[in-house]
Amino acid sequence: MRTPLSSGLAAASMGLLLLGLVLRSWQVLLLALPPMIVLALGSLAPPPRPRIVALRSLSADRTDAGREVDVELVVRNEGPSLDLVEIADVLPREFAVIRGTNHAVVSLEKDGTLRLAYRIRSPVKGDFVLGPVRARSFDPLALGAQDVVLDVRSPLVVAPAMEDLRRAALQPRRTRPWFGQVASRRIGPGTEFWGVREYVAGDEVRRINWKASARLERLFTNEYEGERSGDVVIVVDARRESSVGTEADNPVEHAVRAALGIADRVLATKNRVGLIVYRQVIDWVPLAFGRKQLYRILDHLVHVKPGGEWRVSHVGLVLSRFFPRDCLIVLITPLQDRDALTAVIELAARGYDIAIVSPSALEIERRIRPNTPEDQMAYRILAMERANRVAQLRRVAQVVDWDPATPLALALRRMTAWPRRA
Amino acid sequence: MAASRLMSPGLRWTPFAVLALLESWVAWDLLAVPDRRWITALALPFLANLVFLLLSRGAHRRWARWSGLLALGATYVVSHAFVLGIQVLPALVFVSLLIAQVELRILAERFAPLFLTTITSAQQRQIQLALLRALVRLTIASILAVVIPLLAADLASAGVVPVTTIPTALLLSAALVAVVLILALLPSLESKVEWGQRGVLGTADSSPSEGFRIERKG
Repeated sequence: MRTPLSSGLAAASMGLLLLGLVLRSWQVLLLALPPMIVLALGSLAPPPRPRIVALRSLSADRTDAGREVDVELVVRNEGPSLDLVEIADVLPREFAVIRGTNHAVVSLEKDGTLRLAYRIRSPVKGDFVLGPVRARSFDPLALGAQDVVLDVRSPLVVAPAMEDLRRAALQPRRTRPWFGQVASRRIGPGTEFWGVREYVAGDEVRRINWKASARLERLFTNEYEGERSGDVVIVVDARRESSVGTEADNPVEHAVRAALGIADRVLATKNRVGLIVYRQVIDWVPLAFGRKQLYRILDHLVHVKPGGEWRVSHVGLVLSRFFPRDCLIVLITPLQDRDALTAVIELAARGYDIAIVSPSALEIERRIRPNTPEDQMAYRILAMERANRVAQLRRVAQVVDWDPATPLALALRRMTAWPRRA
Repeated sequence: MAASRLMSPGLRWTPFAVLALLESWVAWDLLAVPDRRWITALALPFLANLVFLLLSRGAHRRWARWSGLLALGATYVVSHAFVLGIQVLPALVFVSLLIAQVELRILAERFAPLFLTTITSAQQRQIQLALLRALVRLTIASILAVVIPLLAADLASAGVVPVTTIPTALLLSAALVAVVLILALLPSLESKVEWGQRGVLGTADSSPSEGFRIERKG
């Protein structure tokens, strides 16, 4: 492949040649020689087609957003020696090279190797593929080049960063008949004292209330408030209109982060968690317990990208068919439209217990826009609209208005009881 | 490490220095033109060259860069071919410098970013070696581009190669045209591989391992 420079030199040479002939000037004719000589020197040693092999190794094939991964690319020349070869390890555009380089221009002798070691980081989650490796061999005068693409690809899954919600009191209000950590307001196995009743055969000796038994001269047994588990369904709004801001700082990314933190927290307290994501498609993960369920949810959340134009009310269809009615629904939405308001009112009317975590798109937009008087005025109007919407929602659901620049745990701590008691 | 830090700005500024030298050279020649009408006529391509080069610097347009260099070369050749007369050695040096400037800019674009990144000393040595090799080749090419035409002119004027008759002059011209055409048309006919697209997106979708989905029709 010829480069534009070689065409330029040929054209210049030809132009001077013709001008020299027209003017019948041997001096002008002579000026046609330098570009021709450079072209000739470049043609003496045309760049060979690179025959190279590459091997890439990663320090991890799964990582978290913002965490660094070390990459090592070893390239070996198995063909003729290459005067100049430019090698680039193609990265997805979400990745930034923190240390080292993924690109080099070197000379490679036959059987010579080049080792590129670099460190990358992605601020956003996703299921990425590193590669391919591109190599271009060119002659030192940049007149010709030969390209090859090596199909060396390495998958790298970047999980969303997790919100630390260890201190947040997240629990379903309604419980199911399985042991857990949610006070059920029923007598059962637990640690909170509930009352005293007369001893019956079979009661555990350690539950006998000895003080009451001594005073009344009959055996009495302590009763405790049963601790059970409940169901939580996390609904993530990843519609296109929810994506406001930059690639790393937008309500959908923050919603994913929040969903993962809430799922982790609720699963840790021995409850069942399910997930519904509405994006290009509405997909969901059925309710289940345990660590494995967290990984299942994480696997779904990694793939979430903004898209689709679903109405929020469609979520009700999935909820009514595939999830029990007595579960707590945690809807994570930036509340960009009034559609969410009507949908939440409908769900509440059907008897669902709803809590809303709303990453504020308004605050995100405010941070990235210039602070002109017009912007300030627009911000005030939109903030009033949002406050109005939140106030209406608070009649039927608990709402956490969250500025994503602050930790979610802080926003949740401002709530008195979460969700509120009926 | 400090030396490698200096390499990048050094590489970046060398083509500009050469270009500034060429611009001042042409401007100096223009000042020596005695006829005012010629000065006006030649000032137009020279100003166009300045505008194009500024445009290429600001808007990063490749066509503007090429047009600027073309205008600069045209100003020099026209001013000397029609007004000032061509002195062979300075003219050959000018043309060689113009070519060297383009080559240096290409080298700078390729190598300068590499010295800005944190690389190991082994990588640095490999890159420096490649740069040195390219610079040596460029120097040799530039020297030959001046010396060979001078030699040819000397041989022709001394009568060693008889080019004083019409048939021999035509034959020589035809040979030169043929050489240029061959050099220009020689390229290997390999398909152009797409190069330089950094943004190969990761497969962002979309087959979660477990779970269910509803897709919207229409």
